[in-house]
Amino acid sequence: MKASGPGGAGRGILWRRLVADDGPGRLLFYLPAVFMTVFFLVPLGLTLVWSVFERTMFWMKPGFTLAAYGDFFLSGRIDSFLNSVQSGLATVALAFALGFPIAVFVRRSLPPAAQHKAVLLFILPFMISEVIRLFALRPVLGRNGIINDALIGSGLIDAPLDWLIFTPTGVVIGEVLSFLPFMVFCGFLAMEGVPDYVFELCSDLGSGVVRTFVRVIVPLAAPGIFAATLFIFVNSLGLFLVPDLLGGPGAANAGTLVVNAISALDFPLAMAIAAVMVAMMIVLLLIGHRLFDITRILQPYR
Amino acid sequence: MTVQESAARTRPVPAVEAEGIAKNYGSVTALKPTSFAIPAGSYFVLLGPSGGGKTTTLRMIAGLIRPTGGRVRINGADVTDLPADRRDTSMVFQGAALFPHMTVEQNVAYGLTLRRLPRDRIRSEALEMLKLVGLAGFERRRPHELSGGQQQRVQLARALVLKTSVILLDEPLAALDAQLRRDMCFELKHIQESVGITFVHVTHNQEEAMTVADEIALIADGELVERGTPEHMYETPERRFTAGFIGENTLLDGIIHGHGQEARLVIAEGLEIPLPNAPVGEGRPASVSIKSEDFRLAPEAVDAVSAPVEVVDVFYLGFSTVMHVRLPDGRPATVRSTTGALPTRFRSGDRAVLSWRPEAVRLHLA
Repeated sequence: MKASGPGGAGRGILWRRLVADDGPGRLLFYLPAVFMTVFFLVPLGLTLVWSVFERTMFWMKPGFTLAAYGDFFLSGRIDSFLNSVQSGLATVALAFALGFPIAVFVRRSLPPAAQHKAVLLFILPFMISEVIRLFALRPVLGRNGIINDALIGSGLIDAPLDWLIFTPTGVVIGEVLSFLPFMVFCGFLAMEGVPDYVFELCSDLGSGVVRTFVRVIVPLAAPGIFAATLFIFVNSLGLFLVPDLLGGPGAANAGTLVVNAISALDFPLAMAIAAVMVAMMIVLLLIGHRLFDITRILQPYR
Repeated sequence: MTVQESAARTRPVPAVEAEGIAKNYGSVTALKPTSFAIPAGSYFVLLGPSGGGKTTTLRMIAGLIRPTGGRVRINGADVTDLPADRRDTSMVFQGAALFPHMTVEQNVAYGLTLRRLPRDRIRSEALEMLKLVGLAGFERRRPHELSGGQQQRVQLARALVLKTSVILLDEPLAALDAQLRRDMCFELKHIQESVGITFVHVTHNQEEAMTVADEIALIADGELVERGTPEHMYETPERRFTAGFIGENTLLDGIIHGHGQEARLVIAEGLEIPLPNAPVGEGRPASVSIKSEDFRLAPEAVDAVSAPVEVVDVFYLGFSTVMHVRLPDGRPATVRSTTGALPTRFRSGDRAVLSWRPEAVRLHLA
């Protein structure tokens, strides 16, 4: 169809008519919904459906069996899973202890113009592939790595610490280093929503550092902290690279279990593990929503 | 009466004393060395345009900003080196400075919980203060469920509950609409009178200042311009700046000519204001100000001094009418008259005569 009216103005009008509230173009705005349905909701549904399908030699066939769930819950896999939940919690706690104070420091002690730049520095590690970043930890944490050399050299220890890598501790160290930026970002954004008067108020009332942190800063930044917590926890459960590269033999998290199941062509099992993770995620989200209204995550407090 | 008491009565210790306090940020001066004393139990207002240094002054009294020079004394004790919480002051901040995650009662009680008082005492004191500020029954609400005025009342209760001898208020009513601000002014004044402690209130709003103040200090461009009672600041300001900031005054600048009975301020050719017995010599630049309500506009001269003018604008405001007129040399003047007292309805473009009594003229030498 040819645009009416003179020159470019006509095209503008046509475009505006297309995307007007009642024009056919309004359907364009449903594209994200279509995208989410095709690439998110449908796979999620398939995960649930396939997890109860019956296993065949190379694929699966329609049916209803809870065999895959039995395979997961009634085997050693559940132990690996619970262990990875445990190290996930440790990772979250350490990331909070290290990352949130950084966020508070950046927000409170740096000049406003430098704050965003400082936070952006934490993106730099993401420019390097996760595999390489994790692999680079081997010469740092290993028996003859930088840390052990430094500790022995300074006379603090006699024998190298051998639990820094290829152990559950190594997995936690690797995860904390990988996911720390999320805590810094979310913590910083949450702190940005905390108005300055809050800090003046605390110093006028004589609220000490610890008390201000526990009673005021953490509650006010809670939605951001929760967002970071969720993100880190889910990643530490699902990203199989970290236990693969730093966990030593037998190390596994939920991600490893899924990958192994797929390698063994046991698709219903892989789907069942994924479904359990999704269920856990939903429960966590519900709890978080109850506690701090998730719709307000990363939004200034008011 | 003990000896101490009588001594205190003869020379009362000011609640707040600033001795040459100053603040510089690098090469930028926020406040030049400034000294003043605030009598205990008074309502003291720091008034001035924004960026003039009044909030800086208040924050230095509070201990939230460290002065670059001078001393601050509270009830006679030097507190210059003490942090905010160790001073006998508490602060009411601009806007709704409440902890958003706490209830009204928790907000008020927070300062008391830090003092490790028994729980039931904290509760009863918090509730008592909420009652004093007219918020009984609101203790379970959260700040975002309150109106702006109510939030400021909670702040006031939070400050009062600490029983400090000075309350510092930093533009406490700036975020409220005009009607609410007026009501809150009356209420602040009532509360201050009933608790009898010293209030130091920062505002840029002169009506607010006039309503609550026992005394006003005008602060602009980093210095204390003038201080005095609202009546003094309005009726007999000494400084030209005061006359320009407070009230609705017409300011005229000129040079003194003649002396004794012949002294007059020559503003322009053909425009002179007699200043009999002006306390300055010939040739000195000076300014005069005349309040808008001291002018009378009529078809002909009705007072001792007069000048022909052209009416520029007429604003009918109901009870009063404000008229902008132009003096012979083009200078503007503002006239306010009760509408009923106007001899005729003036319209823009009319020729008229502006008259005033010689006593209405205030001379400003600085």
